[in-house]
Amino acid sequence: MSSRPVTVFEPPDLRRLRPLAALRRLAAARDLFVTLSLHRISVRYRRSRLGIFWAVIQPVAMMLVFTLMFTVLRAKPAGDVPFPLFAYCGLIPWTMFSSGLYNASTALTSHAGLLTKVSFPREILPLTYVVAGLVDMSIASLVLTGLMIWFGVPLQLTALWAIVAVVLLTGLLIGLGLLLSAAQVRFRDVGLAMPVLVQVWLFATPVLYPLSAARASLPEHLYWLYRLNPMAGIVDTFRGGVVLHQAPDLGAIVGSAAVVTILLPVAYVYFKHVELTMADVV
Amino acid sequence: MSGNTIDLSLIDVWKEYRRNAGRRADAFWALQEISFDVPCGAALGVIGRNGAGKSTLLKLLAGITAPTRGRIVIHGTVAALIEVGSGFHPELTGRENVFLSGAILGMGRREIAAKLESIVDFAGVGPFIDTPVKWYSSGMYVRLGFAVAAHLEADVLLVDEVLAVGDAEFQVKCLQRIQELRDRGVTSLFISHDLTAVERLCDSAILIEAGKIAASGAPAEVVAAYHRRLALWDPTSGETTIDSPRSGIALTNVLLRSPDDPKAVAFSSGAPLTIAVRYAASRPIANVEFEVRYYSPDGKTRIAAPSTAESRQQPLDVQPPGGVVEFHCPALPLKRGSYSIGAVVRDKTTTKVLAWWDGDTRLYVSSGPATDAQLYIPHSWRIIPDSEKAAGVSASARPPA
Repeated sequence: MSSRPVTVFEPPDLRRLRPLAALRRLAAARDLFVTLSLHRISVRYRRSRLGIFWAVIQPVAMMLVFTLMFTVLRAKPAGDVPFPLFAYCGLIPWTMFSSGLYNASTALTSHAGLLTKVSFPREILPLTYVVAGLVDMSIASLVLTGLMIWFGVPLQLTALWAIVAVVLLTGLLIGLGLLLSAAQVRFRDVGLAMPVLVQVWLFATPVLYPLSAARASLPEHLYWLYRLNPMAGIVDTFRGGVVLHQAPDLGAIVGSAAVVTILLPVAYVYFKHVELTMADVV
Repeated sequence: MSGNTIDLSLIDVWKEYRRNAGRRADAFWALQEISFDVPCGAALGVIGRNGAGKSTLLKLLAGITAPTRGRIVIHGTVAALIEVGSGFHPELTGRENVFLSGAILGMGRREIAAKLESIVDFAGVGPFIDTPVKWYSSGMYVRLGFAVAAHLEADVLLVDEVLAVGDAEFQVKCLQRIQELRDRGVTSLFISHDLTAVERLCDSAILIEAGKIAASGAPAEVVAAYHRRLALWDPTSGETTIDSPRSGIALTNVLLRSPDDPKAVAFSSGAPLTIAVRYAASRPIANVEFEVRYYSPDGKTRIAAPSTAESRQQPLDVQPPGGVVEFHCPALPLKRGSYSIGAVVRDKTTTKVLAWWDGDTRLYVSSGPATDAQLYIPHSWRIIPDSEKAAGVSASARPPA
């Protein structure tokens, strides 16, 4: 019976952690990943009248509120692009980020029953919320297409930069989701801090104003700090490519990519280390 | 597939828990220096009181949590029948939940699709498979959950108390399914309060007490050791006392067996049954009477069979160290169901109860003649048509065949 897999359970030890073996186990559990992701999408809007429209309602509502606000203030932060389009296009990646962060960070604690009874690669739980966020974002993007036709803004080849932005956003959400969900098991402060964090983060991200406005108004050293926010490069690249027909601000997008590249392995190792005993404390 | 390879081995395993999240002073050892091996294809039973550490052991084996010290090595894929209905979502239909729960337990989508019919059949929820499970009765819910788990393919099977779910008929089905897996050569580990099932299904057993292995060996010996400890256990101090209780006699085990089939897990109405009551005595006691009792789960059927019911049977005298009183029922009069078997020993002159059996011995009556009545009473019969009356003087005088 040499073909039988051998499993060894030992006390958690960072020296024994094998991230590649963990990734192989994750790949072997892909059917569970697919099933749980589909489940996440299908259950979310079940028994709600508006169903999948809820994916669109949040960014649209925020767009309307901010359009009203800037009209009253007589401010024109968006330059020559119609502000509703400018705001909505920035809100698409932002909404995926903020709701993904909320959902993924509580992914483990909201499944305490599963954690204490069944063994499976636990990272699947936060990951499925990222998948659900991607689906919601695709639906919200359909409305963006409608808005672009309405305002007569054409789609150009620069829109391909949006793919880079979405890949980075997905990586960022996976990293933060793993880190925060695992921390939330031990420290419920994470869940309590989340609304404050997301609120502050929104204003530190060029969603309602262009990145150029931050560069113009912030002193050199503060702008450098500002750019450490990976969402700055992601939102700017997404919107710049789709509605402004610009190539991204290279400094911002490289900064985002660097943060994601460092975050992902750190988050995964931390998650797998804590995973071994999370059923005891959840 | 050589018979002497080890499938599951624990090497000096310890597990620490904290009573209060975070505070180190509250730490205690739920398991200490646990070491054992289960050979390929063998079945190990784990028994012990509630809180002894049995479920912690199973959680470690299932990979739900890691040991604090030591090492667990498992050869082969593991299926854990720990909590049935794991991952069920109330808004989803039975069918969707089968896919969800199956995936969580480690089955592939294609595998589940192939087994769906058999799962639905096993659970007996056919007409409701497309109904959201929140509208299921609790029995249907549990049956569907177990049905999914029972269809797992694995080299090593972990079972925890699943026999306690569902109605009697379903319990028999579960036992038969486990026996089937055993026959197929699956290595297994059972945690159960149903000591009769442990003795039937397991090749060896361990007794866990306060997180340590207190006894190990053949199931009958370990079960007997467990009962000796239970009988001598003083609940006020929580300690197992060495002295016998004042009455001088204790019932240490009650075992059910079919004279026809020693491996049977369930019995049939009308078939013979032997109940063996093991006792331990610390001094000679004269004039005692043993009695076995049958309780149906609803408490409606209570039948007592005392050892001195028939006048020709004399009261018994017992001598240390102990022995077995065997009750033999030639034709089981119970209908299909799950019964609890009790036993007492009393002083025939004072009628004072000296000791009673406080373990959980279950009798599963699986099949037999269908009856809606409370009891099945076997009869022989013959027919005497009126037309034969005149001619049949000599025939009716003959004893019935």
